Amino acid sequence: MNTDTRETVLKVVDLGVSYGETPAIAQLDFEVKRGEFVAILGPSGCGKSSMLNVLSGLMAPTRGRVVVDGDELYLPRSKDPRLGYVFQAHRLLPWRTVRQNLEIVLGASDVPRDTWHARIDEILEILHIAEFKDAWPMRLSGGQRQRVSIARAILVDPSYILMDEPLSTLDEVTARSLRQELTGICQRTGATIVFVTHSIREAVYLADRIIILTRGPAQVFENYIVPLERPRDYDDARIAEVEADIVARVQAPWGLETVKERDVA
Amino acid sequence: MNKLQKQSLSIAALVLLLPAWWIAHLNTTFISSPFQVARLLPAFLSEGSTWYNIGVTLFRVVAGLVLGIVAGFIAAFAMNHSRLMREVLGYYVTSALRTPSAIAAILSVAIFKGSEFGYILVVAFITFPYMAVGLRDGLASADKGLAELGQIYHLGLFTQIRHVTAPFVAPYIFAALRNAHALAWKVIVVAEIFGAARVGFGAKFEHAWSYMLMDEVHLWLLVFMALVLFAEYGVIRRAEKFVFRWR
Ligand SMILES: Nc1ncnc2c1ncn2[C@@H]1O[C@H](COP(=O)(O)OP(=O)(O)OP(=O)(O)O)[C@@H](O)[C@H]1O
Ligand SMILES: [Mg+2]
Repeated sequence: MNTDTRETVLKVVDLGVSYGETPAIAQLDFEVKRGEFVAILGPSGCGKSSMLNVLSGLMAPTRGRVVVDGDELYLPRSKDPRLGYVFQAHRLLPWRTVRQNLEIVLGASDVPRDTWHARIDEILEILHIAEFKDAWPMRLSGGQRQRVSIARAILVDPSYILMDEPLSTLDEVTARSLRQELTGICQRTGATIVFVTHSIREAVYLADRIIILTRGPAQVFENYIVPLERPRDYDDARIAEVEADIVARVQAPWGLETVKERDVA
Repeated sequence: MNKLQKQSLSIAALVLLLPAWWIAHLNTTFISSPFQVARLLPAFLSEGSTWYNIGVTLFRVVAGLVLGIVAGFIAAFAMNHSRLMREVLGYYVTSALRTPSAIAAILSVAIFKGSEFGYILVVAFITFPYMAVGLRDGLASADKGLAELGQIYHLGLFTQIRHVTAPFVAPYIFAALRNAHALAWKVIVVAEIFGAARVGFGAKFEHAWSYMLMDEVHLWLLVFMALVLFAEYGVIRRAEKFVFRWR
């Protein structure tokens, strides 16, 4: 029985993607509710980025449907969905300052111009980069750039925000602090997030629900509700327990090697 | 290096040329003394005809460059658009790129019988392939990630071109512009001399030379060099610095 009464933002039905003859996604069915933080967890090459390309309106699937806020994508007349995207690499325009990078997105939205200023200030404040408002992206650290990229994604209150391993290129210290803030940002803004990662612990720490995929071509292996209340502590033993539980489940389907040092007698 | 240091360095570089000039003057019969030239310079510069002739040459260079840039842009977009165009136009561009500029100058001036358009066309012909090749390469390397960004955030076509594509290809355009600009000045003088132009820098230089008015030859040369340096440092590099201030 489904007890979640929140409205469905994103619905993926019988999705399949092939590149020529080669299948990248075998079959995916899932839904995401408003305000939910869903992690998509799967091994490298299983089709996660291909899936995001389809969910973002960039690439028509070979088979199946994607419905965003009740509107079907990839019909001849359908509109592109309004969404935020945090890429693995920040993809800021280097020739525009932080503020200008945000303004270009606002300019393409229907947010009234006289509210831009306040909105930009507020979002930069939330992400702790207010002092870099007029900085060029080249002068920022990797973590600061990714913060700007997150700011850009939540700027226009999109239906949902896609994140493709946004922390995987950052050092552990920066990644930790951004992880911590991501959860706070979601609670403050009520954003709906689809977060792709191959880090099990990251998924457990961040998500309400983890959609675990099989090895490629991807299928949904399991819909895993994270059994932890918030706020969570990244180094908490309970996170480690859930992580271990997931590792045990995916061991066979992912073909995980047991990493154990042998005794050299 | 700060601005003052840079400026004093360039002045020092110029001053260092004076002894060489002086030595050359002492050892030849046709090189005037730098002091003699310096004494004549104020009068030369206050003459209206000096500026008129410079203005004519400057106009030919600028008009030719503009025409060359427009033609180069059209060719680049066409080459970027279709394979057939890339093949066909590729030959034209390569031929234009390999044509010796003196030959282009003589031909154009002969064909247009020394009309103003002939001079402008030489400059355009010599500079357009640089713009075409530069911009074509820039467009070809355009970033797929940034194109996706534009699509995801619904940036319209105009915004995409103005704020994503154009800044991306700007370095290619500037590199091409520098080459084109340097060549434009060389070729216009050749054209003016061969075309027996009545006005323009080349005409005046040629006139002074054939009557062995060596002081005047030097004055024209000096003014010419100053003009070219100003265009390079005062205009092009300054624009470049402004456009690339984010680096
Ligand atoms: N443009 C493409 N053309 C052909 N094959 C592709 C293309 N993009 C992806 N593939 C293939 O599709 C499969 C899935 O790729 P995808 O990038 O979606 O995986 P991923 O799960 O995002 O991997 P990673 O975790 O390493 O980023 C891979 O086998 C890949 O080689
Ligand atoms: Mg990927």
